Amino acid sequence: MASRLGAVRWVAEFGTPRIYVDRDRWVETLRRARDEEGLRFFSWLSAIDWAKESAVGEGVADPDSLEERFEVVCRLSSVESADAMHFLAVVPKDDPVIDSIVPLFAGAAWHEREAHEMFGIDFRGHPYLAKLYLPDGFEGHPLRKDFPLLSREVKPWPGTVDVEDKPSLENVEAGGER
Amino acid sequence: MSFWATLGLQVVAVLAVMLGLALVTIYAELKISAHMQSRIGPYYAGGRWGWAQPLADGLKFLQKEDLVPRLADSTVYRLAPYVVIVAALAVWVVIPFGPSLVVRDLDLGAFYVLAVSSLSTLGVLMAGWASANKYSLIGGLRAAAQLIAYELPLLLAVLAVVVQAGTMSLSEIVAVQAEPWFVVAGVPISAPFIVKGQIIGFTIFMIAAIAELSRIPFDMPIAESELTMGYLTEYSGIRFTMFFLGEYASMVAMSAIAATLYLGGYALPGVPAATLNVVGPFVLLGKVALLVFLMIWFRWTWPRLREDQLQAMAWRWLIPLGLLNIVLAGIFKVVL
Amino acid sequence: MTGLMHRSEVAVSVELQTPDMTLNIGPQHPSTHGVLRLVAKVDGERIEEVEPVIGYMHRGYEKLAEVRTYAQITALVNRIDWVAGFASEVPFIVAVERLTGIEAPPRAQWIRLILTEMARIASHLVFMSSYPLELGATTPLMWALRERERVLDLIESVTGGRFHPNFNRVGGVKPAAGGGSKTKKISMDLPAGFFAQTKTAMEKVLHVCDELDELVTGNEFIKARTVGIGVIPPDKAIEYGLSGPNLRASGVDFDLRKVEPILPYDEVDFDVVVTTSGDCYDRYVCRLEEIRQSARIVLQAIDKIPSGPLQAKVPRVLKVPEGQVYVRHENPKGEFGYYIVSEGGRMPYRLKIRSTSFSNLSILPWLLEGQLVPDLVAIMGSLDFVLGDVDR
Repeated sequence: MASRLGAVRWVAEFGTPRIYVDRDRWVETLRRARDEEGLRFFSWLSAIDWAKESAVGEGVADPDSLEERFEVVCRLSSVESADAMHFLAVVPKDDPVIDSIVPLFAGAAWHEREAHEMFGIDFRGHPYLAKLYLPDGFEGHPLRKDFPLLSREVKPWPGTVDVEDKPSLENVEAGGER
Repeated sequence: MSFWATLGLQVVAVLAVMLGLALVTIYAELKISAHMQSRIGPYYAGGRWGWAQPLADGLKFLQKEDLVPRLADSTVYRLAPYVVIVAALAVWVVIPFGPSLVVRDLDLGAFYVLAVSSLSTLGVLMAGWASANKYSLIGGLRAAAQLIAYELPLLLAVLAVVVQAGTMSLSEIVAVQAEPWFVVAGVPISAPFIVKGQIIGFTIFMIAAIAELSRIPFDMPIAESELTMGYLTEYSGIRFTMFFLGEYASMVAMSAIAATLYLGGYALPGVPAATLNVVGPFVLLGKVALLVFLMIWFRWTWPRLREDQLQAMAWRWLIPLGLLNIVLAGIFKVVL
Repeated sequence: MTGLMHRSEVAVSVELQTPDMTLNIGPQHPSTHGVLRLVAKVDGERIEEVEPVIGYMHRGYEKLAEVRTYAQITALVNRIDWVAGFASEVPFIVAVERLTGIEAPPRAQWIRLILTEMARIASHLVFMSSYPLELGATTPLMWALRERERVLDLIESVTGGRFHPNFNRVGGVKPAAGGGSKTKKISMDLPAGFFAQTKTAMEKVLHVCDELDELVTGNEFIKARTVGIGVIPPDKAIEYGLSGPNLRASGVDFDLRKVEPILPYDEVDFDVVVTTSGDCYDRYVCRLEEIRQSARIVLQAIDKIPSGPLQAKVPRVLKVPEGQVYVRHENPKGEFGYYIVSEGGRMPYRLKIRSTSFSNLSILPWLLEGQLVPDLVAIMGSLDFVLGDVDR
């Protein structure tokens, strides 16, 4: 089925297939998933920033072999059963463009606007690709891994220390039975 | 007594009665709504009967800053609440509280009442226009549209009473209702117009009156969930209080008109005519209280209609019914 | 076209042209439930075009989650949809449990189920109070909130919080409210008398549903304002990703509690409420009926709840293996889910929050076109959104 949809490769994890498609076949694949597989319900669309270095949090497990890229993720599901699929398309960082799926799913408009402002990915053919959450004139793309979390820069998070060094209240309780 | 002294006394009397009644109505609204909604403030504030609640509300309003928006038409903006309250006041001039307890018994009383009571809408329109606020403007225009839609049924309803009574003086309309209708076993029975065929007219009058007062279900000019507060959006402090008082004073005034026209005014079957100058005011106030309660009850039970639904109701139902009612009143008058 | 038109006709149409007014509804407006802003182009009272402006409450939870451990994120996620805070905690915790392979003990799962349904009742009661208020009826507000207070008190008695329980732990639930390291030897559980109080509260809730039926459901004025207003056909609802009562009111029989339960919903008996016409009235009726069903579920659950531990064994420092998982659950407002991308650390590499109201609200520009300003309020209210859920 995955190859019928035009997958480059696919992974099934926790019961949901993750289907990687070529970004040129993005709209085509989603259309076929909707029309032929019955996945009519547009659940959400977002992106993942795969970066070797991250300004926030913990980075990837294996930075050396990582290929820097964005992955656009879209979840379609059925309204008759629990069937669902995740579609992923790799978008290179130096050319972050992918076709918009708003003509297929009108509900994707806001999701694509969010991904646009948060990751800087352009959705070709989107009717109104303006900022959604962020104020006009905001610079940068907050969910990219190279975007620092300013409050963290100013003041380190005490919670990190809490987990590492001191026994936190919660972990004591959780390990109470030991 | 000189002319000016009498006039002064009458003005003071009307002011005292009107403001007193408005305050009582506000208190009643608080208490009744609290009972309907299980609210505790109006139950316990001040220790007993919740007497402190209206006082606290009033004091709060008074100490608020009186704001005038920079772009507002200042003169009109400031004047508007007084136009509303004066309109409510002026109605009381012709309402008879007893056979001789009336400030001015005008021959055209019914006409005067209709003319003056619709003045308050002018104040609303002024407020809506002068606030320089889009919500206020929409609210003001809705009030104007409502006035046009509801003045006609109101007029037609009153016209039927005038046809049946054969006079436009409110005192005489009451007198006609107090006259014996027929005699059973030697006892003369009198009946108010609501019994004598004016039940349709009374219904039309009450619906139109609530619409003119902009109370739920017809409070579209205020409609806080749509227009924030409609024409009241920019008002605060003492001027808002004026609107507030004006609303309740108009409510009492409208109820008094309805009581006079349809419920026999100060007269009550069985009460001897000689005592009416003493008992009359209380009888009238009792009837007014009944109608005011009805309005309060409606307000806390129903949601609001939409402006176009209200217009449709006025033009499709109330005006044809009002016309029919006049014909019926004529037939009633000729036959009986 | 103009050339074909007679000259006098042109003159008439020019004369009747009225300039459009841009009405800015919000961000502070009584019926936007917070800080939603609608820029509406109106011709008189008719809306020609509306553009929702959101983001006034954007807190960037997806970014904040990347610098927090999984346990710390639970404190964030119940602030997304604060009207039903507990319900939005559950799918996140279950997602982490799937990734780590830990399973919560049965009693903990039943407690989650009871509290989720209570959160649903609380959330729908807020709708029952605010929706008639938007139509101008003030009394249902007090009636519904009175009973909601009972439900919130119960949630508080278990979790210690009315709105933000922060009660779920990976592998179970927090042993008890007020517990701590000093009292860890005492076995702790639901507070005493919880089941009896729950039973009373559910009876009161069912009673207030009947009262609301009398006051609101059959009311001619309510029907005049809501029947046939804001109709969403089922295919549009699906296309825009609407879920929950908004989807079911359009006649789509889809409830994640039946389709993909992450809590023991298959052991309780309840009906999925589906209404067919997709207008505001049906969305209202659907929610009212769901309160009854939820009360039914809670009443069954307090009889069926097994005894046992509340917490599975969890390592002291929780490291989540690599993997990507999406877990969704039927939140009071619809499909609520979390997509976790883990790279094997203590914190998620990426957390995508699929919040319900965001998708539910995105239909607004399509739905409001050509409606009247009073209907705008009726339609917007009937979608039952929470701004925290829209903005995240």
